[in-house]
Amino acid sequence: MSDRTTAEVAKSRRLNAVSLVAHMVRYEQLSFWVNRIGAAFTVGFSVVFLVLLGASAGNSRISYLGNIKLVDYYVPGFVAYGVMAASFTTLAVSLVVRRETGLLKRLCLSPLPTWALIIAIFINTTIVAVVQVLLLLIIGRFGYGVHLPTSPAAFVVVLLIGIASFAAMGVAMSTVIPNQEAAGPVTSIVFFVLLFLSGLWFPLKAHSGLATFSNYFPVRHFILAVSAPFEFQDGVSPWAWHDLLIVAIWGAGAMLIALRRFRWSPRRS
Amino acid sequence: MTAVSVKGLRKAFGPVHALDDVSFEVEPGQVFALLGPNGAGKTTAIEILEGFTSRDAGTVQVLGIDPGERDQQRWLRTRLGIVLQELAVEPFFTVRQVLDRNAGFYPSPRPVDEVIELVGLDEKADAKIKTLSGGQQRRLDVGLGIVGNPELLFLDEPTTGLDPAARRTTWDLIRTLSVEGTTVLLSSHYMDEVEALAQNVAVLARGRIVATGPPSSLGGRDHGRVTIRFTLPDDVTPAELPVIPSTLDGATVGIATDDEVAVLARVLNWALEDGVELHGLSVTRTTLEDIYLDLTRTAADEPGSNVQ
Repeated sequence: MSDRTTAEVAKSRRLNAVSLVAHMVRYEQLSFWVNRIGAAFTVGFSVVFLVLLGASAGNSRISYLGNIKLVDYYVPGFVAYGVMAASFTTLAVSLVVRRETGLLKRLCLSPLPTWALIIAIFINTTIVAVVQVLLLLIIGRFGYGVHLPTSPAAFVVVLLIGIASFAAMGVAMSTVIPNQEAAGPVTSIVFFVLLFLSGLWFPLKAHSGLATFSNYFPVRHFILAVSAPFEFQDGVSPWAWHDLLIVAIWGAGAMLIALRRFRWSPRRS
Repeated sequence: MTAVSVKGLRKAFGPVHALDDVSFEVEPGQVFALLGPNGAGKTTAIEILEGFTSRDAGTVQVLGIDPGERDQQRWLRTRLGIVLQELAVEPFFTVRQVLDRNAGFYPSPRPVDEVIELVGLDEKADAKIKTLSGGQQRRLDVGLGIVGNPELLFLDEPTTGLDPAARRTTWDLIRTLSVEGTTVLLSSHYMDEVEALAQNVAVLARGRIVATGPPSSLGGRDHGRVTIRFTLPDDVTPAELPVIPSTLDGATVGIATDDEVAVLARVLNWALEDGVELHGLSVTRTTLEDIYLDLTRTAADEPGSNVQ
């Protein structure tokens, strides 16, 4: 011990931390992809939606949205959907299932530090989200001629803020769902109602009643924030700061709920 | 240094006193058992030792560390093996994958192949966990408990729900680990299990320790206690007996005694003189089960004992 300097010890600790997180990410990924039906459903849903909607209605134009093509609206829309599905829905359901089946309690009682678990779950979610986003961009580009984001920097920032915020909302959601059976249905209903009201399938007019209503929730803001870096309409900034801020505020609020309410094990009956 | 030291431990969940002034010690290298019926507080006690549940009062030392102290918890857990009561299955992993994953959490894990062999899952090493039988999953659970090469292993009801053959396999495994020098703290509600495995036992009933010691000496058993049992006819009440019964179950009388010849003589003389028939008369050396039932019943009947 004596001939090891403090710097060396700190360095080896850092290496241990990195390899521990990498180790855990590997198994989180394995666990996600080995469940083929779950993985196909999570990743495939957004792809199938984009392909079908793009094929059926993609070429019509939205007069009240700068006359852009509907498929130009759908590509960022389903990118947003994919990110939210990977972080919010998947995370909420998997945390409830893991908590109720006792798997979280086991991880809690293992020497794996909580921070390593959180980082590993976040990286895992990001990987799943990025895979979807890439698939959607490729289908949009080569299937429907939708150009890639013209401001990649803004696009990446939007994705990262979105993943972090919706992941926090996913964790918060998991804390209010009482049991495994309710996890899928409850999360899906909340998610799909918000998606519908936020105009994912049918774009909303800017000041319609529905738009005003859905502006209180993060989903519409996130769809708009993802669209901005594509710059379909001239003179619109790729940085939708206002929308991003509202998404981030929801994320921060969800984080507070998650920190207060998170449990490692099922509630004692 | 003792492996586990518990003094004056208390824990309440609302009005229920799960643990009430519990004290015991576990020596290194020992197999120690917490014995008690369901709801006696065994799991609560173990979860406090693991640092999963907080305590209301008392001092607890596990491998010289207070498990309630957050900054020591992770380090402590690298030295502990923990097998929980509930089975929890990672549905999509194979046996080897989940062992490999958990081995990565520890500084000096036991080789995964060695663990697989120890718990007897060689043929199932690459099978999905959800395809294992209950007994095999339980053994995998024990495998996950020992993959970190623990100094101290907690086993919460390791054989509950197993068939007799699987129980024996698990017992052999616990003995092997004990011989290797691992300290084991197990909980059980099977008397024969405690008798077969443990050097020391604490009997827990309604959150209190009602007896401690080696299984052979429990409840005065080494004094050669004997139980005399018989059933009285309908027209005879237990009050007419020449000796005071220790237990009464309807008309069935149980008399526990150290001096069975004298007591038996009094009972038989009385029965012959009064012409009373004693149905199903038996004389048995007290089993650990008798003592256990006796100890836990006394605690349950005590006035002012815990709220249910």
